[in-house]
Amino acid sequence: MTAATFELRGLTAAVPGETGAVRLVEEVSLSVSAGETLAVVGESGSGKTVTFTSALGLLPKPGRVIEGQALYNGTDLLSLAPESLRRVRGAQIGMVFQDPLTGLNPVFRVGDQIAEVLRAHLSIGRREARERAVQLLARVQIPDPARRVHDYPHQFSGGMRQRVLIAMAIALGPRVLIADEPTTALDVTVQAQILDLLSELREEEGMAMVLITHDLGVVARQADRIAVMYSGRVVETGRVDEVFRAPRHPYTISLFRSIPDLDAPAGTMLAPIAGAPPDPQRRPSGCAFAPRCFAAREADGCMSRRPLLTDEGHAVACHRQGMLEQAA
Amino acid sequence: MLFYVARCAAQLAVALVGIVTVAFFLMRAIPGDPAIYMLGDYATTESLAALRARLGLDLPVWQQYGMFLASAARGDLGASVVTGQSALAEIWSAVPPSAELAVAGMAIAIAFGVPLGIVAAVRQGTFVDVAVMALALGGISFPVFWLGLVAILVLSHDMGLFPALGATSEPGLWPAIHHLALPALVLGLSVAAYIARLTRSAMLEVLGQDHIRVARAMGVPERRIVWHLALRNAAIPILAVIGVTFAWSLGNAILVEAVFSRPGLGSTILKAILARDYQLVQAGVLVLAAAVVLLNTLLDLVYGAIDPRLRKA
Repeated sequence: MTAATFELRGLTAAVPGETGAVRLVEEVSLSVSAGETLAVVGESGSGKTVTFTSALGLLPKPGRVIEGQALYNGTDLLSLAPESLRRVRGAQIGMVFQDPLTGLNPVFRVGDQIAEVLRAHLSIGRREARERAVQLLARVQIPDPARRVHDYPHQFSGGMRQRVLIAMAIALGPRVLIADEPTTALDVTVQAQILDLLSELREEEGMAMVLITHDLGVVARQADRIAVMYSGRVVETGRVDEVFRAPRHPYTISLFRSIPDLDAPAGTMLAPIAGAPPDPQRRPSGCAFAPRCFAAREADGCMSRRPLLTDEGHAVACHRQGMLEQAA
Repeated sequence: MLFYVARCAAQLAVALVGIVTVAFFLMRAIPGDPAIYMLGDYATTESLAALRARLGLDLPVWQQYGMFLASAARGDLGASVVTGQSALAEIWSAVPPSAELAVAGMAIAIAFGVPLGIVAAVRQGTFVDVAVMALALGGISFPVFWLGLVAILVLSHDMGLFPALGATSEPGLWPAIHHLALPALVLGLSVAAYIARLTRSAMLEVLGQDHIRVARAMGVPERRIVWHLALRNAAIPILAVIGVTFAWSLGNAILVEAVFSRPGLGSTILKAILARDYQLVQAGVLVLAAAVVLLNTLLDLVYGAIDPRLRKA
């Protein structure tokens, strides 16, 4: 396996709470290499976004990283001075966010916003920045870029705005692209176009890509590896084909069961996961998923000990592995 | 854009007609009779009646109003009943000192208020924020005549930095600025307090928006984010409060002029009200109102230049 371009090691981020620090994400370890797509999956509030914003020093105050490393080509971003970290953000690691409607500044022309990103990292003049902005709009397949560069965000549709934001994210040829639910706010037809654009760019640029999503269909089509997060922790990770063929964590298994299946006989009910994920302030002392788990058993320590992620290619954090494997 | 300008101009006209109408009827609602004021308590009934007829005061009010509007539309606001001079000309002569004070005051208010508000927003919750907001609360709470008196006592009497009089007949730019400084500072600081508070809340709102998070993720330097990307978004509420406080500071300017014995619109209009000099009061109100409305119209145009979404509306 080649050295990872971007790697998180034991990342733990917290906000101060009434009774001590509330851990939003705990001991998250992930890695992604050049040309590879890692999908990070989990329901809302599972810590997918917090993981990556805190790795880039973007966690809003008073949140902070209390443990762990975020390595970019071997350098720990969290140990960098703010100015050095700023030079990495946007230039080496690009990020695309969920909501393209609010992601662009409404009072600046899109060309100026792209130029702003270019000029934050390069010493180039306005004219050159403007020219490059046109090229970038063409790169993300916006028709008539030379004219559109002068338009304001409200003159673009949601899908076009997401293209502009992608243009900003790849403006400086980053080696890592983190896409945080890039299609959640878009129409279904536009979603596919944006995902295709992202994978095209990833291939052409040889970027390492992190795709944060809660759409398992997207994962199947786009990703090489998957990390499933639950209540601030990675509970299962592995190659997409392995995990899809034989999910090992009860949460992942339940997730797959809750997907509608077009081939199922009519009248088959979906199997939603009962209950709700725990509040980070009141996580159970054992496995966070235990209260909702079909396999949890006190005798195995599900209610008392936190399960750790195994150290294999297809890794899982569950006390009941032996039982589940025998059943399968 | 042209339509936008035309609409602003129409609003300006409607606002001015409304304001002079209110001023016209308000003046006539105040008890008192300019004829008695001019001729004294011992004037004969006949001479009073003759003067009233000459001034048109014997006509029904609505007829007086019609005549007033007709001549105002031609730019004639009548003559001061006290001096016999053109009311507009008399008011105009009082405008320059007031304009100096108002402009200098607003300049100081903006120069202090906007940066302090921004710094308070960026350092939200820190000592800097608390200190700026405490100062602003003081600026809003203390009446300007009190601030003026304290300023005279401390800066002028005790420390001798500025003259206590707000105006001078000495020629030259420096004496004029030296005398203007204290009244402008007093007027400006109370307005600065409002502007600082509003700037802070406007900036806090913008700094929490998604596009700012995007700019941070793209590595745009924080200085650039605050003073360029965010400030432009916050500019409209800030300009709006500048427009509102300008009207308010014209009112305060009257008090400041009195405290610092400065000539200007304040003392001119006050004297006219006491003398029931209808024409002079109306001309004064019209000039003040025109200043406020013009500034706000100008701001409306600036809003359109700042936020492209407003141009279409």
